[in-house]
Amino acid sequence: MKFVSHLDMNRFMTRLINKAKIPIWFTEGFNQHAYLNFAVPLSLGFEGEYEILDLRIIDPDYSNSQLIADLNAASVSGIEFIKACEPVFKMKEIAFAEFLISFDNITAEIEEKIKNFFKRETIITQKKTKKGGIKDIDIAPLIKKAELQDNKLDLILTAGNENNLNPTLVLGALFDLEKIELYYEVKRTMIYNKETQSFI
Amino acid sequence: MDNKEFERLLLTVQKPGRYSGGEINSVIKDKEKVDVRFAFCFPDTYEIGMSHLGMKILYSQFNERDDIWCERVFAPWTDFEEVMREHNIPLFALESRDAIKDFDFIGFTLQYEMCYTNVLNMLDLAGVPLKSRERDESHPLVVAGGPCVCNPEPLADFIDIFFLGEGEEVDLEVIDLYKKHKKNGFKRAEFLKEAAKIEGVYVPSLYEVEYMEDGKIKAVTPKGDAPKTIKKRIIADMDNCFYPDKFVVPFIQIVHDRAVQEVFRGCIRGCRFCQAGFIYRPVREKSMEVVNRQAKCLCESTGYDEISLSSLSTSDYRELEPLLNNMLTWTQENHISLALPSLRIDNFSEELLEKIAHVRKSGLTFAPEAGTQRLRDVINKNVTEEEIMSTCKTAFLGGYTSVKLYFMMGLPTETDEDLKGIADLGQKIVDMYYAMPNRPKGKSVSVSMSVAVFVPKPFTPFQFEPQITKTEMERKQAYLKSCITTRKIDLSMHDSSTSFLEAVFAKGDRRLGDVLEKAFKKGCKFDSWTECFDLQKWNEAFIECGIDPDFYSLRTRDYTEINPWDHLDYAVSKEFLIRENKLAHKDTTTPNCREKCSACGANCYGKGVCFERR
Ligand code: SF4
Repeated sequence: MKFVSHLDMNRFMTRLINKAKIPIWFTEGFNQHAYLNFAVPLSLGFEGEYEILDLRIIDPDYSNSQLIADLNAASVSGIEFIKACEPVFKMKEIAFAEFLISFDNITAEIEEKIKNFFKRETIITQKKTKKGGIKDIDIAPLIKKAELQDNKLDLILTAGNENNLNPTLVLGALFDLEKIELYYEVKRTMIYNKETQSFI
Repeated sequence: MDNKEFERLLLTVQKPGRYSGGEINSVIKDKEKVDVRFAFCFPDTYEIGMSHLGMKILYSQFNERDDIWCERVFAPWTDFEEVMREHNIPLFALESRDAIKDFDFIGFTLQYEMCYTNVLNMLDLAGVPLKSRERDESHPLVVAGGPCVCNPEPLADFIDIFFLGEGEEVDLEVIDLYKKHKKNGFKRAEFLKEAAKIEGVYVPSLYEVEYMEDGKIKAVTPKGDAPKTIKKRIIADMDNCFYPDKFVVPFIQIVHDRAVQEVFRGCIRGCRFCQAGFIYRPVREKSMEVVNRQAKCLCESTGYDEISLSSLSTSDYRELEPLLNNMLTWTQENHISLALPSLRIDNFSEELLEKIAHVRKSGLTFAPEAGTQRLRDVINKNVTEEEIMSTCKTAFLGGYTSVKLYFMMGLPTETDEDLKGIADLGQKIVDMYYAMPNRPKGKSVSVSMSVAVFVPKPFTPFQFEPQITKTEMERKQAYLKSCITTRKIDLSMHDSSTSFLEAVFAKGDRRLGDVLEKAFKKGCKFDSWTECFDLQKWNEAFIECGIDPDFYSLRTRDYTEINPWDHLDYAVSKEFLIRENKLAHKDTTTPNCREKCSACGANCYGKGVCFERR
């Protein structure tokens, strides 16, 4: 489902929940709508292996396993519901996200360059500010893990409302500074709190 | 092309969701297990095509049958077209991603004239020869339906079969005939001859058109045993007519992103400029129970939280109030909002307003179409100024502070007096608002008025009328602008070059096929999109083909002249259209079908409003 933007995904979920007749809590007030909240928006073009969605069930007899079964029965291929449980962490506790970047076959030389890149003490790159300007930032401290194996790069980056680091920015900096160009695909595999405990 | 490569390319274009498929309720079948593959093509973007009700109906209906797999195809936007051409990706269907050149049928729905270059472009992208006579047994049959088929002549060279009227029955009859021929060794020419015998099927290659020296048509002659006139098909019994129990629900936002429930077909009104008001006659309603049941089912299967009632004039539905009451019982409970488009100004009661306001407050739009009573009588838009004022008043009392009014410019018999009437009407609404002691507090009023250029259309009483010239239009626009003195009125008059072309193709004949092909080869496409429309190229195409567009659009046509569409029978007789045209020139209105039958001819189907008790 990489061609679905975050907004589209929200709309899709609202409809899926209606279609599956999930007894979900609606916000009160003038513009009532089903309450649902995705942990961190997933960019268009990325795959998500383990995405987290917050919603409230109002029927106490409606079990988690029933919820998963109903959602899967209504869903489309490519969007599968894995598990439902009581919230383990609060959404604001999100601190890191893990990504798996797949490259096409890369040469030993390029592999070296990638490895060197992540050994740098500082990695200065330009980032768009919310106000529409551009500023220099050092992303090195925001990269918690970077491991390259079999053409696949495993990245853990800071996530959440502040200091959210998009893998596109990391790879952009890599290509710029190391003067390489590669095609890649991004899959987000997990979301963590600040102790890197996973949000399952 | 493998999936991976395809997905990479998709990520380089805007809105890849237009091309990726996989939506809720889209239909996947095993291609080995179907007999007929049908590519249903909408010659505009995904967002527009996916909003179209007719396509949803036929998509579901075809796919109900195990032996048919119907898939959707839309015109790729220019960015993706470039990618497709560069990487040799032929036009494919969304569901299977298979190239449509290998399908049995390529079917287009023709909703407006300005999509014709897209039809050609899509055939070209598919890798199918453009012209019917250049295709052989190895190519799909290219068929088309929709309102523009009431004068399909400009596309006659490119389309094998046109379906006249409503498609639910005739399409399947043709598919069944095709299956039979396929079993016994399919021969195109033979098949087309056989298909032409089915009512509602028009095979243009079976008709010879001869012209007189002055360019007018001399005769249209059928070849072999093709019928002399072709009669449109309708579904007589709407309660037992197929209606989808599910819609494909897109991921990306489309124009009308909601469930749509049809309540009736046709229109009782007979506004003389409105083609839809004539070609869909007679009015046939669905019963309240059927509408309510189908609507509920649709909401459940799609998960949509908005539903609209659809028809040409929903407030003319006889059981509207009880229907709304019934629907509100389940819509409110399920947080579904009910939208009612195209409500007519003249029976918009306070009570009704209350009911929709209950659910959602959206903008109010009315279409008086002309600025004076005299001209409204000419076009048979039976709306009085009093009614307009009282409706606006009700709306203002209900808390609305903005209204949008639609008008036309260049209507038959129009004078400057009538244009000034548009400005005056706007002024009166503004004045009334400020004269209301209980108007919404502290808010200013805004009246927006949109004025389009009138396009005379086939099968309307104005089919004989000319369109105004560009110079005249510019003069009229300047004059109207000068009549408006308040900032509370927002006047918009679109660039009208497309209206001129629309008139040419609406009333055009087969000779325009060459112009169309030239324009397409020069790169014309998406002509209804201002960012793509290129008048220069069109003008060149006309000149290079030696065809004068004004011949089609700027000429008053004699009642006796043979029109390019006169061999097509849409159940409204030419005599009736002539009668109506004469009444228009006498500023005289015609009662609607419920008040009095005007013997248009549409009672020949033995059903509908013509047989209601008056
Ligand atoms: S035959 Fe009479 S009632 Fe029927 S559609 Fe025509 S005018 Fe209306």
